[in-house]
Amino acid sequence: FVGFPPQVLVLYFAKSAELTGRKEEELPDVPTPISSGDLWRLLLRRHPRLSALQHHVVLAVRQQYVAVGDQVVTLADGDEVAVVPPLSGG
Amino acid sequence: MSEESRDVFKLSRDWLSVQEVVDAVSSSSCGAVSVFIGTTREDQMEGRKVIGLEYEAYECMAQSEFTRLCDDIRARWPIVKHICVHHRLGWVKVGEASVVMAISSPHRGDGQQAIQYGISQLKATLPIWKKEVYESQDADWKENAECSWSTYRERNKT
Repeated sequence: FVGFPPQVLVLYFAKSAELTGRKEEELPDVPTPISSGDLWRLLLRRHPRLSALQHHVVLAVRQQYVAVGDQVVTLADGDEVAVVPPLSGG
Repeated sequence: MSEESRDVFKLSRDWLSVQEVVDAVSSSSCGAVSVFIGTTREDQMEGRKVIGLEYEAYECMAQSEFTRLCDDIRARWPIVKHICVHHRLGWVKVGEASVVMAISSPHRGDGQQAIQYGISQLKATLPIWKKEVYESQDADWKENAECSWSTYRERNKT
């Protein structure tokens, strides 16, 4: 049995939206499971200008923060992945 | 007959009403309402004058992180009654309130401590961002020192 790789919705906020020129995009065929580091690198290949955020960015998968690194995430069709630059609320 | 505790979060593109936030936490069991109001300063950054701020949020996640924050506050100060935060979105002129937080408690000690903690944690965890806009029309995304991945923090590992 082979499952279909999921289509994921990537959301770009603040500086990352300016660097990529978009607020969101559909990403088809995302490998799963995938490490957060590999997921970040996948986004970097699509949008090299995101490298300006290197070491100062986290991801949010299904509205849970995930540090960029070895943490493995499983993705399902329709899941949201957000690129989260340093916060400045309040 | 005890009143159920409330956690109220609102993002608003309109100016914030401090009274509304205070009213949201009022309780006959509470002798204290602690309030924090964050306003936008007319900063001079390296000779550039700030004319306003632009706020953006990952709205559904700001709500879920707020819920988490309230659970955290209640674990530390179980006596806290109600918690309310209103936060601006979009354009905020210098001098206007960008965030109002209110906490009610039977006595002031717990409420005052909880609100200090609450604001720091809000700055560290809620997915909200602000951009400072200068007179020159230049703009800069700001970072909270409280945020563990901000450029203010040294990275020890890649």
